[in-house]
Amino acid sequence: MGNFLFPVAVFFAAIFTDNILLTNYLGMCSFLAVSKELETSAGLGIAVTFVLAVTTPLNWAVYYLVLVPFQLEYLRFIVFIIIIAAFVQLIEMVIERYSENLYFSLGIFLPLITVNCAILGASLFMVIREYSFITSFFFGLGSGIGWFIAIMAMAGIRNKLRGAKIPIGLEGAGIALIIAGFMAMAFMGFSGMIQIT
Amino acid sequence: MARGMVKKTFLTPLGKDNPVFVQILGICSTLAVTNKLANTMVMVLGVMFTTALSSWTISLFRKQIPSRIRMMVETLVIATYVIIVDIILKAYNPEIWKQLGPYVGLIITNCIVMGRVEAFALQNKPTLSLIDGLASGMGYGYVLLIIAFVRELLGSGTIWGYQVLGSWWTKWAIMVMPPGGFFMLAILIWVVHEGVMKEGKNG
Amino acid sequence: MVVTLIVSVAIITAIATLLALLLVIADATVGNYGDVSITINNERELIVPGGQPLLSLLVSEGIFIPSACGGRGSCGLCKVQVVEGGGAYLPTELPWMSPEEIANQMRLSCQFKVKNPIKIIIPEELFLVKEFTTQVEKIVDLTHDIKEVTLKLIDPPIIEPKAGQFVQFQVPEYALSDESVYRAYSMASSPSNQNHVELQIRLVPHGICTTYVHEHLKVGETIMINGPYGEFYLRDNDRDLIFIAGGSGMAPIKAILLDMAERGDKRRATYFFGARTRKDLFLLDEMKELEGRLENFTFIPALSEPAAEDKWEGEVGLITEVVRRRATNGQNSEAYLCGSPGMIDACIAVLHDIGVAEDAVYYDKF
Repeated sequence: MGNFLFPVAVFFAAIFTDNILLTNYLGMCSFLAVSKELETSAGLGIAVTFVLAVTTPLNWAVYYLVLVPFQLEYLRFIVFIIIIAAFVQLIEMVIERYSENLYFSLGIFLPLITVNCAILGASLFMVIREYSFITSFFFGLGSGIGWFIAIMAMAGIRNKLRGAKIPIGLEGAGIALIIAGFMAMAFMGFSGMIQIT
Repeated sequence: MARGMVKKTFLTPLGKDNPVFVQILGICSTLAVTNKLANTMVMVLGVMFTTALSSWTISLFRKQIPSRIRMMVETLVIATYVIIVDIILKAYNPEIWKQLGPYVGLIITNCIVMGRVEAFALQNKPTLSLIDGLASGMGYGYVLLIIAFVRELLGSGTIWGYQVLGSWWTKWAIMVMPPGGFFMLAILIWVVHEGVMKEGKNG
Repeated sequence: MVVTLIVSVAIITAIATLLALLLVIADATVGNYGDVSITINNERELIVPGGQPLLSLLVSEGIFIPSACGGRGSCGLCKVQVVEGGGAYLPTELPWMSPEEIANQMRLSCQFKVKNPIKIIIPEELFLVKEFTTQVEKIVDLTHDIKEVTLKLIDPPIIEPKAGQFVQFQVPEYALSDESVYRAYSMASSPSNQNHVELQIRLVPHGICTTYVHEHLKVGETIMINGPYGEFYLRDNDRDLIFIAGGSGMAPIKAILLDMAERGDKRRATYFFGARTRKDLFLLDEMKELEGRLENFTFIPALSEPAAEDKWEGEVGLITEVVRRRATNGQNSEAYLCGSPGMIDACIAVLHDIGVAEDAVYYDKF
């Protein structure tokens, strides 16, 4: 595969074959808690996508331009998490100031995702898989879109399940996990479509 | 400190307040490694270490930390302990370290660690917080170990890497794949809610 | 080794400083909304820095809105009516709002950020909630395990409670507790005694506050309290009254009775007070005196396990049995209960049996 196409392949892989939620279980906490409402899910999904697309290349830059030259790779956990936290807070302030609509649909969810494992997870994957800057961006964006698709699908299904008879012990998280399991199986159908190593 | 208090602090997270069953917390970063028992054990030890020591540290400084930057300080303390886990693991067992990949680092975002710090360590004395952290880590750990046990047994026919089920056993490939983790956890939650929790609610 | 250490600390510090600087600059520019005004009940106007949640702005101005979660938007208690300048509802508020509340422009004050001038309405009672500096004036043993503590209000010097309400008592740091905690106690003093607050505190083994009061508290000591709070006060109507209390549940009932006596209230009232043995009974003389001052008032103390040496001639039995025996027709009655949760639940069942309407039962569990 040509160098030029690699980021594109990573992008689609992150959405389908290597979905950050359904194959890597990242971002489960907010996924289970929020997926009851379609609108909230959409807001959170967009927020996650946006933050992932920005922080992954941002962390790439800090990692390769600062930490690697000083041989401080082991500090990446701390550095990544504070960059994510600061970035999220910054964006929240800006959005709150300049667009009320955007703040209502997106900004309000930002504080919730600072501790979302998907965000940190994508940055850590980016390091382990030795992506380039461009690839990191596409990987972050793709992971976000994949997460968005997963949570929207889940919220849609849970909406339909309202009023359905579910064994008491399975109500809430139990049934959500089973749905996630089936969704993961469905996404396994994509495997083989894209091979990235 | 009353002895009853210590015992209670230790036992509640293991039983009726189990973080996984009751609060469905912190499964994200760990469910992924439950397809092998050995990997799960390492992760669980890492989580226990981090939860216990971060709770202890935050509790020690709980009166000095300004509330505005509380979350930031907590995150940094947790991240520090996770780095220690990462370094130790890389030095002593690079094989498993490699398999676990980013999941060791993701202990930082594990809701249990932050959850215990926020809910318990900020109000309690260091020793008690240490015990609470340790017990919460254990309560979380044994659930994952059960999941890992079943997934490895059915999916690979092995326990801790040793062949247990003979060649007659058809491996359930789905068990070691991602959906297996979701299903196992759902089933476990179901069993626990139907059985144990129901009694608790009526009583 | 040393170099690595210094370099790593320097790098982390540099990154953290850079980010902190960025946030501070953003806070001063993007996050700076200037000063805004909050008009309360059309009379008071506060000038506050904008961009912060209404709840914390009000608290910093000394107005305490009840909140259980500390501003995280997870308890839904801190609702405030914003009549002007409220703007649209946030998604984080909506789960807590009923259609009526939205029609009334109620907002969740911990989520609602003040960015432009607003007008709000706060119930008058909340203004009365203040923090008081007090001095311990008197400590008296009422029984072997209940102490009466009288606090003299220093700053502000006056409290305006309704009879039956409670205050929160701040226990300072001491051996059993390494940080100060709050415990709620009903006021036993009459509301007309505005410079004093009288509390009845029963010793609970290992209880942080009760141990402090029983073993450490001294006359002359300074104690912080805040209040008054609570929905446990006498409703104004002409129904007959049934009071039931046990132990230190005496306190709010005593305040209500004193208040009735001062107002010359002629409602028919019966007060059942349950105790185990003679040594758990207290304030019998005061109750006798109140029976003299209140035309239609009867005090019925009852012992559940009178000892032989008590020579008890009054009612014997659990308080529920005594109520069932003595109060038979409850259709036109309302009841005020104060005591342990177990006692209250048992009494509610009895009251229901004798015909007291469910919404005419008020209680204070502790």
